[in-house]
Amino acid sequence: MGESSSAEAPLWAVVELDQFQTPEQTQASQWRRSLRSASTWLVGKQAAEQQVKEESELRALPDVRLAHLVPPIDWSPAAKALAQQLKSLEAPVTFFITPPHNGHVSVVKQWAEEHHIACVPTPTLSELAEGDTQWVERFVNYREWAVPALERYFLRHTQGIQGVREFLERALSGRLGKGVIGCDSWTYAYLQQVIGIDGAPALTLQSMEGEQLSRYFSAIATHGGQSPPVYSTRTGNQVLFDSEANRNEKAPYQELQRLAAHCRGHIGLAWHYWRERLREPSSSGEVGLWLVDALAEAELSADTGDIATLVLHALLIHGGLDDHSLGEVLPFSHHEALNARLALQRKGVVSSYEGRWQITPLSYASVRQLLESRNYLVDPL
Amino acid sequence: MDEQQKYARLFNDIDSQALITLGVVLLSTIVLIIVSQRGLNWLATRMHGQVRFRIFALVPLTRLFILITALAIVVPIIIEPSLRNMVTLLGALGLAIGFAMKDYVSSLIAGVVSAIELPYRPGDWVNIEGTYGEVKHVGLRTVDIQTPDDDLVAVPHLKLWDHAIYNANNGGTSLQCVASFYLHPEHEAGWVRKALRDVALTSAYLKFDKPIIVVAEEKPWGTHYRIRAYPVDPRQQFLFITDLTVRGKTVLSAAGVQSAMLPPDAALDARNAAESSY
Repeated sequence: MGESSSAEAPLWAVVELDQFQTPEQTQASQWRRSLRSASTWLVGKQAAEQQVKEESELRALPDVRLAHLVPPIDWSPAAKALAQQLKSLEAPVTFFITPPHNGHVSVVKQWAEEHHIACVPTPTLSELAEGDTQWVERFVNYREWAVPALERYFLRHTQGIQGVREFLERALSGRLGKGVIGCDSWTYAYLQQVIGIDGAPALTLQSMEGEQLSRYFSAIATHGGQSPPVYSTRTGNQVLFDSEANRNEKAPYQELQRLAAHCRGHIGLAWHYWRERLREPSSSGEVGLWLVDALAEAELSADTGDIATLVLHALLIHGGLDDHSLGEVLPFSHHEALNARLALQRKGVVSSYEGRWQITPLSYASVRQLLESRNYLVDPL
Repeated sequence: MDEQQKYARLFNDIDSQALITLGVVLLSTIVLIIVSQRGLNWLATRMHGQVRFRIFALVPLTRLFILITALAIVVPIIIEPSLRNMVTLLGALGLAIGFAMKDYVSSLIAGVVSAIELPYRPGDWVNIEGTYGEVKHVGLRTVDIQTPDDDLVAVPHLKLWDHAIYNANNGGTSLQCVASFYLHPEHEAGWVRKALRDVALTSAYLKFDKPIIVVAEEKPWGTHYRIRAYPVDPRQQFLFITDLTVRGKTVLSAAGVQSAMLPPDAALDARNAAESSY
């Protein structure tokens, strides 16, 4: 997807999994991250991060203004795109997969709501722990159903995979009617290996290039008015343009292309970076906003230990876990798992969301790269 | 007198400048070898996956290259490199080696061969004459193997000539592990096979791009099951086998599958079989 073709590309496109393409410069972004990690180690963080505009001259935006400039993502266009794709599919089960923080739960819920289709309740933790498969019978009551988050339907131990295996075997053979399953991309990769779900069609959101991110961030910031100009503290160049006229010029999207490549084109991750990194000048005379170096996230060092790596992998495969369940799926004691989780929490690599520990959006890229470099199973996105 | 002059002509006149050159070459060689060995080892230990093994493989090759270069500089300074001189020198050396330092030099030559043929590299898990462990260092004369008991064993390279070298991962990241289960004959074999496969599939250490195989073998005392699977990193092999064994036992005992009660001679056979399967 080059820039010329992406200029006309829709923001929200649902495509088959094998048609997913990472944005331009994704590989270069990974090399840059490794180089940055090495230069930080050699010359220190300050020297490695050369800035045109000092962060000390900037301040965080007030919550109210931030909420106006970067409101939560409205996933309804993605739900509509999903509905469009589903029209042409006849398979009993269709997967809709996205990486963490990229909205598969919201998209499938919205799609189900719009089409008056029931979202089947998730099994309880004790049902999963005991290997109970009775919860699969709940699906028999529905002709059409939706599962927004398949990652809540299993635990990685011998008992914990029995239910999801029974469910998927029956669903894929068409004995449970017709359904749409929202699934984290890491869970999907794991279940592909453990159960074998290649036969069912899998859809995902197509990646966004820098130009598309520019359009999206401008659109959400304007609310029909004019979006403020945004500059990069790294280069001093304008990142987001303040008028339609400027936007129509042959705009340089390098900074947002860099962000798109870093996030592998996933809008949910890019949105978190955008929201976390917007600043305004401390002095009242200056206009415009600043984007502090978008990629300076909580980094994992190359010598991250095996226990921490296993904790991160378990969290990704399950789409987040509470402390008790984390101890259940790891091959060491609960207190070792807790210690490792606490250390990761202190570094800002994991955080709690709805009682589950998850990889923070700003750490996701470096965690994925670390796991891939150590030959762990990674997601297809 | 003539004889004396003939041998004197074998060697060049070593003046002070030649001595300084030799000293500088010797010092540079030592420094370069130390720096390259420590630097590459340091770098490799911080890497993971295939890159780690590639850097480790460079360690003996780099040392060999430095030594050959140093010899190529030093030899013409000490002797006149004519055919006659070389034959005389090599003949004398051969005689000395043949009588006094046969094994030592054989190990040195095998060390050169090992740097080229790569039967083992740092990071490999090898078994040489019953010594199993991770290759930590490939030296000029010996290879240092760290056993799971944390003993460092120096094995002379000359074992290359007449002993089998078992290399479990051969410069890669794939190392097969085997977890054994000895079960009472009365059990549902199909269910056990499926359950043991699930045990492997749910291990946090499992490498997914390699196959999982559950092997069942009928014995007079019961059935011997083996899970053959690969951990993500060869260094996790003992943790992986332990994880498979502990969780496998839990699953089997929860289902009421009993362990085989082996008679003493069968127990010895089983132990030997398990050892030979590594």
